[in-house]
Amino acid sequence: MVSPVLADKPTATTEPGRHSRRPGRGRRDHLVAWLLITPALIYFVGFLLYPALAALYYSFTDWNLRTTPDWVGLANYKDLLFDDAKYPHFWQSIKVTLQYTIIAVPLTMVAALVQALLINAIRRGSNLFRLLLFLPVVTAEAAVGAIWRWLYDPQYGLVNAVIGLVGIPKQNWLNTPELVIPALAFIAAWQCGISMIIYLAGLKGIPSSITEAAIIDGANPWQRFRRVTFPMLRPTTFYLLVTGVIAALQVFGLVYVIFSGRGQSVTGGPEQSGLTYVLHLYLYAFRYDAMGAACAMSFILFVFIMIITVLQFKFVKQEAS
Amino acid sequence: MIRRVAGAAAGVALVAGLSACGGSSGGDSKTLTFWMYQDRTPQAGQVVEKLRSGFEKANPGVSLKIVKIPKDDYNTKLGSAIASGSVPDVGILDQPLVARYALDGTIAALPAGVIDEKTYYQGALDTNRVNDKLYGLPVDHTCVALFYNKTLVPTPPKTWDELLATSEKVHADNPKVAGMVVPKGDGYGAWMWPGVVAGNGGQMVDLKSKKILWDQPPAVAALQLWVDLMKSSPREITDSDQAFANGLAGMMISGPWDVATIKDQFPDLQFSVAPLPYKTTPAGNIGGEDAVVFSKGKNADLAWKWLAFLGNSTNNTEFAQAMGGFPVNVAAAERDASTFGADQAAFLEQLKVAQSRPPLPQWIQINDEVIAPALEAALSGKSTAQQALTDAAGKARALLGWTA
Repeated sequence: MVSPVLADKPTATTEPGRHSRRPGRGRRDHLVAWLLITPALIYFVGFLLYPALAALYYSFTDWNLRTTPDWVGLANYKDLLFDDAKYPHFWQSIKVTLQYTIIAVPLTMVAALVQALLINAIRRGSNLFRLLLFLPVVTAEAAVGAIWRWLYDPQYGLVNAVIGLVGIPKQNWLNTPELVIPALAFIAAWQCGISMIIYLAGLKGIPSSITEAAIIDGANPWQRFRRVTFPMLRPTTFYLLVTGVIAALQVFGLVYVIFSGRGQSVTGGPEQSGLTYVLHLYLYAFRYDAMGAACAMSFILFVFIMIITVLQFKFVKQEAS
Repeated sequence: MIRRVAGAAAGVALVAGLSACGGSSGGDSKTLTFWMYQDRTPQAGQVVEKLRSGFEKANPGVSLKIVKIPKDDYNTKLGSAIASGSVPDVGILDQPLVARYALDGTIAALPAGVIDEKTYYQGALDTNRVNDKLYGLPVDHTCVALFYNKTLVPTPPKTWDELLATSEKVHADNPKVAGMVVPKGDGYGAWMWPGVVAGNGGQMVDLKSKKILWDQPPAVAALQLWVDLMKSSPREITDSDQAFANGLAGMMISGPWDVATIKDQFPDLQFSVAPLPYKTTPAGNIGGEDAVVFSKGKNADLAWKWLAFLGNSTNNTEFAQAMGGFPVNVAAAERDASTFGADQAAFLEQLKVAQSRPPLPQWIQINDEVIAPALEAALSGKSTAQQALTDAAGKARALLGWTA
């Protein structure tokens, strides 16, 4: 995809002088172009395309990483979807992941938008706030896990102290099955820095003339947001929705660090309430000795994400208005 | 997505880099490659280096190469290395993996004459036994025992009845303090539970007749004990970070690794360790490290010699301590027991009656996906102990293809 663009350049050259001095440059440029993209190409083929195709092949086999893969056809797919005894938590992991996506994605987007609007509104110190709000994104995930385990601590946790101020009783956040997903989604929303920056860019892109016209027409701030700002941000919102859903369906690192404290094995939190799809996949690949089934899981997820994304493109408004 | 798939795809490509240090290079002078966990402390590193050079000196012409890998990544990297065909000659292997690796021929059976079985602790040796054959040698072993807060629990309970009474008393004296940090229905709790079952004379499975035994009365009573302990040990207290070390719980079950950590971080806490309370038979479960010889590796004779060297009475205490466990060599353990300190005596006592996990290749999955949820169902009160364990037995039978 990259090479034609590079290769086309000489024909539309803007430097005719240099062109005339070096005849036969087209072929050489082809070579240079190929050389330039070779590292990326090697990376793509070696680390993305080949493993993906290999995984597709392994998904049709029974394989434990050690012996020769045994071809089993569609058995992995069939067993995953229908054999409850063999994969007792497959559907549970889908349920958990969908719950997480439904809560985390809107929460993250709202948090990002609110933060972006606030930063956009202040005159001084916006750089500082932007930095502070972005910090959670660049914090090491293991540190995030440790900090939030403290914040959610049932005895000393700051979260319980805060909700205590408004009279809500203490909760055992990470050990109550019903609260695990909301608690995880809240951490995700706290890490919304990248979405916030993208929203901020979207806000900067709204021509001030439109906002000024709205002010002259007597629109109050809420009306300006609803009728002008938000519709103008629609492409940004759509982009964040699509990428956010894709990321949420693959959530792994967060649950892994939250539930792997103190050297214990990760089995997905109380009553498997935090057993997300990719965590389940990881356990089958590397703990339960079923790499073939794990590969099949990854392709089921791949197809599912593709369908969801196509549906979003079809049914969600993406144009600014 | 593709990236995830790529990641999951066995890390096949990733291993290309590892293989460079993993495979043993040929040649006339014999080279042995040994994989082990990353050193826990600088001192442990010195011990390993000392043993390495000692082995080389005792075997002229042999060069021993040690590859150290962080413990958390070890199984993944080893699996990937095997997938890419670049196995080490000999290496540490997690106890529950021995059965899997033995059954598909990845590791070699111990030839006769390498060791005298009587010099090792049986429990530790048994973690290497598959179909009555040894497929590795233990290098250290460890176990869990009962930690108790001396201020809250003046004398540690010896029996289940005493345990329950002690827990109730601690919580009744101060409702803000839990009697005991009761293990949870997760992979870790499911690992400890068989030791409790054995304390009531029970077993998890009978391999010979292919029967599940954890739905039988001894095991049901063991789970009921944990359920009963929950009444005096509310989770909103015990789920707090380091509840025992913070003085919020009278007792907990944990291993020797926690002794040093607690002493270091909570110097004021008055605590000690006692063997696990039991009902009919003193018993517990076993952990620690085994070492195996890979079928596709080179110089198998030398590899076994190295493992016997690590397990002999001269070296085993040092190496086991470097690994964070106790010696598996009986003579070494008896000679050095007094040097481990009073806190460690309970673990040594416990190890004499420690039992190994069933050598089933699917055991980790059964532990995580069948037993752990059953324990949690009972502990959370959603099911009775009997019902939860009966259900779990049914699931495990379906998974293993065993009949009722």
